[in-house]
Amino acid sequence: MSLAPAAQAGRMSTGPSRRRLLQLGAGATALFTVAGGAAWLWRPGVRGGRLTPSGRAVFRAVARAVLEGSLPAEPAALDAALERHLQRLDETIAGFPTATQAEIAQLLGVLSVSATRQWLTGLRSDWADASVNELEAALRRMRTTDHELRQQAYHALRDLTNAAYFAQSEHWLLLGYPGPSAV
Amino acid sequence: MAIIDPFKDGLGRGWKVFGGRHAGAQPLPERISCDVAIVGSGAGAGITAELLTQAGLDVLLIEEGPLKTSSDFHQLEREAYPQLYQESAGRKTADKAINILQGRCVGGSTTVNWTSSFRTPDDTLAYWQQHFGLKDCTLEALAPWFAQAERRLGIGPWLAPPNENNELLKRGADRLGIRAATIQRNVKGCWNLGSCGLGCPTNAKQSMLVTTIPAALERGARLLVETRAQAFEHDGSKVRWLDCVPVATDGSAASDRTVRVSAKHYVVAGGAINSPGLLLRSKAPDPHNRLGHRSFLHPVVASAAVFDQRVEGWAGAPQTIYSDHFLGVDPIDGPIGYKLEAPPIHPTVFATTMAGFGLEQTRQLKQFPHTHALLALLRDGFHPQSPGGRVRLRDDRTPLLDYPLTAFVMDGARRALLSMAELQFAAGAREVIPTHELARSYRSWDEAKREIAALPMKPQLTRVFSAHAMGGCGFAGEAKLGVVQPNGQHWQLENLSVHDGSLFPTSVGANPQLSIYGIVNRLASGLTHRLTGRTVSLA
Ligand SMILES: Cc1cc2nc3c(=O)[nH]c(=O)nc-3n(C[C@H](O)[C@H](O)[C@H](O)COP(=O)(O)OP(=O)(O)OC[C@H]3O[C@@H](n4cnc5c(N)ncnc54)[C@H](O)[C@@H]3O)c2cc1C
Repeated sequence: MSLAPAAQAGRMSTGPSRRRLLQLGAGATALFTVAGGAAWLWRPGVRGGRLTPSGRAVFRAVARAVLEGSLPAEPAALDAALERHLQRLDETIAGFPTATQAEIAQLLGVLSVSATRQWLTGLRSDWADASVNELEAALRRMRTTDHELRQQAYHALRDLTNAAYFAQSEHWLLLGYPGPSAV
Repeated sequence: MAIIDPFKDGLGRGWKVFGGRHAGAQPLPERISCDVAIVGSGAGAGITAELLTQAGLDVLLIEEGPLKTSSDFHQLEREAYPQLYQESAGRKTADKAINILQGRCVGGSTTVNWTSSFRTPDDTLAYWQQHFGLKDCTLEALAPWFAQAERRLGIGPWLAPPNENNELLKRGADRLGIRAATIQRNVKGCWNLGSCGLGCPTNAKQSMLVTTIPAALERGARLLVETRAQAFEHDGSKVRWLDCVPVATDGSAASDRTVRVSAKHYVVAGGAINSPGLLLRSKAPDPHNRLGHRSFLHPVVASAAVFDQRVEGWAGAPQTIYSDHFLGVDPIDGPIGYKLEAPPIHPTVFATTMAGFGLEQTRQLKQFPHTHALLALLRDGFHPQSPGGRVRLRDDRTPLLDYPLTAFVMDGARRALLSMAELQFAAGAREVIPTHELARSYRSWDEAKREIAALPMKPQLTRVFSAHAMGGCGFAGEAKLGVVQPNGQHWQLENLSVHDGSLFPTSVGANPQLSIYGIVNRLASGLTHRLTGRTVSLA
């Protein structure tokens, strides 16, 4: 993901095989302006270093698929676990430099508008309404596609989710990790 | 055993540390003058500071990361990554295909590295002599400089038995008839905790944080922390001053107050990627278009394997066994070779490095205590099709590395995944899981051999990372071949030198810390002599 300067937008005409950043700010600007009305400008996924409600909705849904089998099954416990996970994601994102935070904000903004969400992920339903199966199918497509932007989005969502979740000591039990040795 | 935190005591006795939370006691002045200003406090900076202060020079170290010491190290990934690593351990190349680990704290990467210590391999030095005019980079000429660094930093054989993670590398190699040997480490009184990557809580690791930086502070050096060297002001042949800005832990500007540093000489030691970034921001002369080019990473691919017995890859000295067998199969400038090591694994790194998600991921994570990991460090930079990457600046003027993973490099990645799987099955693995998005968990070497041979070796699909950023300000015997001269001095800016891993004109072909310690030892001794006429010595 990268906020490439608008001046580079013209270079997007080179073929899809060209190595590119997740240029949500560059060539994709034109596309997203048509499709989603510059989504990330009016609905950024991160503001002041914290996830916005729309950013939270994306990550909450992604967590249900990425962490399937690792999350508690019982609804109240699941809810509480997801809530703590989102808090931990806030802290994780706050640790990144400004440029990375802006990229995450932009990605989540694009994922929060239905037209651009469908284009990037192929997911029809809103994040909150999507079933785990639908979410899985979307992530699987993104993961193995040849489309660099979708792959980058997949890695960003999946890696951030895992980084935040498995850094919490309460989830080490699942991994059989006893925690640090005493000093 | 009581653990002595050298900083607690030193700060109490008046060590001069400014910036960040130290600002209250010692407000950041608007201007600072000194003899030599050093950017960074990692491997190259630490050695340089120790030698310069020995000659009585007034040294200022400028470090953008925080001062964290053994009392702050709790062996927790969630604390260590945001506090001690560049970009919260999530630094990525421009196309996001490579994740880069680099330190960003007092001590730099040496505060978080895994202590493996190798001298620069002879064939690497021979390549530098031949292709970059570095006539003095011979094994014999460098040997005394390495030997001093080894003495100073307690580098020696690791006598304790390897942990199971490393033992499996040895076992597999033995069964295949491949040579594997013991790694030297820079530790004293090591507790064998396995947390080197999260900051050593016992100060056993002889990093810059507990060796050269305290020695320099003791001799009166000043250390500015949470302060970034932003840009040099120069006239094309001489640096006039260096502008620095206070930064927050996330790297954003903490205020718009600039600190102007004037020195007789400036040493850039911000590490590969950041050092070229600083010189690019400063619009340093670059008549031959070398600055930021030839940035290398030892791109790493990894292979996980599950064993019947417990492996506990988090426990015990992280890397103690290696094999250079696959560096010697082809000539150094032939198909890319690779070094094999067994890295430490902690929960977050494990969960983010393994490919996949959902139920399959949960199944793999549950086998964590039985999981062994191998990594292959690809020796980049010795072939025309391995020119490395290029550092450029983002809109906010922070550095970004563009590193295309060429088909040539990815061919090495495939061979490395095959070698690691074969070795892991030879060691008795129940399953082998290459870190590739399309790989599955393989149950036999036959199956793995067939399937890995058919995997598309593309960036993003193949998970690649690196903890060995090198190059970008290469040294060379001719101005048109490099950014700095063989003695470390910038070809165009006479009062500026580069003393860190960004000097290397190719990758090292071995874990780089001792190459930096030894070579910078020579360059910094030379610089001290030029500035003072005095001869100093590390040990
Ligand atoms: C997790 C990990 C494990 C490793 N394991 C090993 C190992 O086992 N063996 C081995 O040989 N090598 C290892 N390495 C690599 C080794 O530590 C590095 O190659 C070496 O420390 C690099 O030295 P350097 O002087 O180039 O930069 P660094 O040691 O990285 O120091 C650079 C410092 O400069 C600071 N800085 C950068 N830019 C600025 C600026 N503009 N202003 C102020 N400060 C700035 C940075 O914050 C950083 O603290 C490892 C690295 C990592 C990250």
